[in-house]
Amino acid sequence: MIFLRDRQSIFFSLFFPIIFMTVFGVMNSGQQEPLNIGVVNESDSVVAADFVQQLKDSLVFNVTIGTEDLLRSDLEEGDQTIVLVIPEIFNTANLDRQSVDLRVLVDAAQLAQLSLVMPLLEQTLIEIEREFRETEPMFSLVIEDVQARSQSYLDFLLPGLMAFTLMQLSIAGSGYNIIEFRRKGILKRLFVTPIQPKDFITAIVLARTTIVLTQLVVLITFAVLVLDVQIIGSFTAFFFVVILGTFIFLNLGFCLGSIAKTQQAAIMIGNIFIFPQVFLSGIFFPIESMPEFVQPIAYVLPLSFVSTGMRDIANEGVSLLAIMPSLIGIAVWLVVSYLLATRLFVWKEVAN
Amino acid sequence: MQIIEIENFTKTYPLPDNKNESFRAVDGVSLLIETGEIFGILGPNGAGKTTTLEMLEGVNDIDGGHATIDGIDVQSDPFKIKEIIGVQLQASEYFDNLSLIELLTLFGALYSRDVDPTALLEKVQLLDKAKAKPANLSGGQKQRFSIACALVNEPKVLFLDEPTTGLDPQAKRNIWDLVQDLNNNGMTIVLTTHNMEEAESLCHRIAIMDHGKIIAEGTPQKLILLHAPDPPAAPLHGNLEDVFLVLTGHALRD
Repeated sequence: MIFLRDRQSIFFSLFFPIIFMTVFGVMNSGQQEPLNIGVVNESDSVVAADFVQQLKDSLVFNVTIGTEDLLRSDLEEGDQTIVLVIPEIFNTANLDRQSVDLRVLVDAAQLAQLSLVMPLLEQTLIEIEREFRETEPMFSLVIEDVQARSQSYLDFLLPGLMAFTLMQLSIAGSGYNIIEFRRKGILKRLFVTPIQPKDFITAIVLARTTIVLTQLVVLITFAVLVLDVQIIGSFTAFFFVVILGTFIFLNLGFCLGSIAKTQQAAIMIGNIFIFPQVFLSGIFFPIESMPEFVQPIAYVLPLSFVSTGMRDIANEGVSLLAIMPSLIGIAVWLVVSYLLATRLFVWKEVAN
Repeated sequence: MQIIEIENFTKTYPLPDNKNESFRAVDGVSLLIETGEIFGILGPNGAGKTTTLEMLEGVNDIDGGHATIDGIDVQSDPFKIKEIIGVQLQASEYFDNLSLIELLTLFGALYSRDVDPTALLEKVQLLDKAKAKPANLSGGQKQRFSIACALVNEPKVLFLDEPTTGLDPQAKRNIWDLVQDLNNNGMTIVLTTHNMEEAESLCHRIAIMDHGKIIAEGTPQKLILLHAPDPPAAPLHGNLEDVFLVLTGHALRD
């Protein structure tokens, strides 16, 4: 009720994840953008023309034909990723006798792109060569997608993002609120009534869990309906993990609210806790892709267990039984955070 | 009959600028408060009035001594005590975004009671503000609302910590009337104040505190007779403020 009337905070707690999702969704939508390459054709041979045509036909490249000077300045301005110079001697007669060097002009600043372009370019050249020499390829690779479903980055991102939202809302819900209540003297006022601390905590936990669930339902609905994200697993299992995660972070929020005396301190301590998890918990990219030395730490963070569990259910449709390792991790954190919270949250001291 | 018995209350705090040293905020306070009286605790800022009240209310730990309210031990049975006392703290805010009616219902729920918020608001003359938020109340209205919140459990003892500080004369008189009215219906009221007129006209008995100790106790008339300075020639003319200044000195306090 109190929360419902705080329209501003409702708006912002939904607004950011939605914007986040939309931006990532747009960034990763559809096919990869074709690479802009410039081609300077100094040869008037048929082979050269053929080669250029092949490049143009390729979906991977977006070809611009021009003079070297022009394309060179394009490259400097970043309009072209690379510029390929086909020398005058690129013709049948020469190719029969010797190999011909093609010059590739690159901007060193775009070297990252280069590693992407070169294999593609070489591949195209090899194909031309084969065609030209009329040799059959010795073998070819056929890529077979073992995951029967197509999965976009957004499908990967959504469970992590929801886990992150859950963490933020829960920590703010207990931690920041307690400090705010204390600052206003509300806790002291409550303390002189016969309410038992456990009732107070239960009330906050129930209220906040309801709020978090409602918000995540809104987010998930938006993601499924508007962004076409696929959730494969069971919603019951998914929200079971969500509720456990909410309990963990509410507990940790109680710890935060008990330790930090001011809102500023709480935000700082909170960030020390939240920020590493944003990067290390596999929200935006999988933990496996992180440097090896951080992986052991990354795997045991509470948010990692929650987001991994949520992701396995959402993306792979597995049952709760299959995510046992995550559930065990969640259970351990639940116990640890509960013990910490009951140790730190001393009603009389927190109220004063 | 005494409803509150305080025996040798002490409270020790570390000094703010030297953590190894400590001072006694409350230093051996003993008080007996009668059922049905309005008892005033007076004293300069930092004398220990609020701390004494908070020890009774269970907000502050009791370092030494002990107290009972209505026969219940304050230290061993804090939740029983909370059932029978009403507390208006010196400064309280309430949850934003809840109206007065909703807040009173909430406070009722904290005592597991179904309260009649309108009747309570009528008692403190805030019925026309029933749907307002606490943030939109004036200083006097806020105090009256705080008292309404303290009344939800029909307490035997009502603690008021500086209920009229910072209020205009109208609002102040209004609170006095309210306190008088509650007392006429049999409620025991313990209040702290800096306002001598308030103590003199409202309280049946008062205690004056300084440096954590009670330095005088009795009816206002008795204290005036005992401690008011004799004017040099003219007939006796002191008031309670003179008594207060004589007893606690003229030096400014924090």
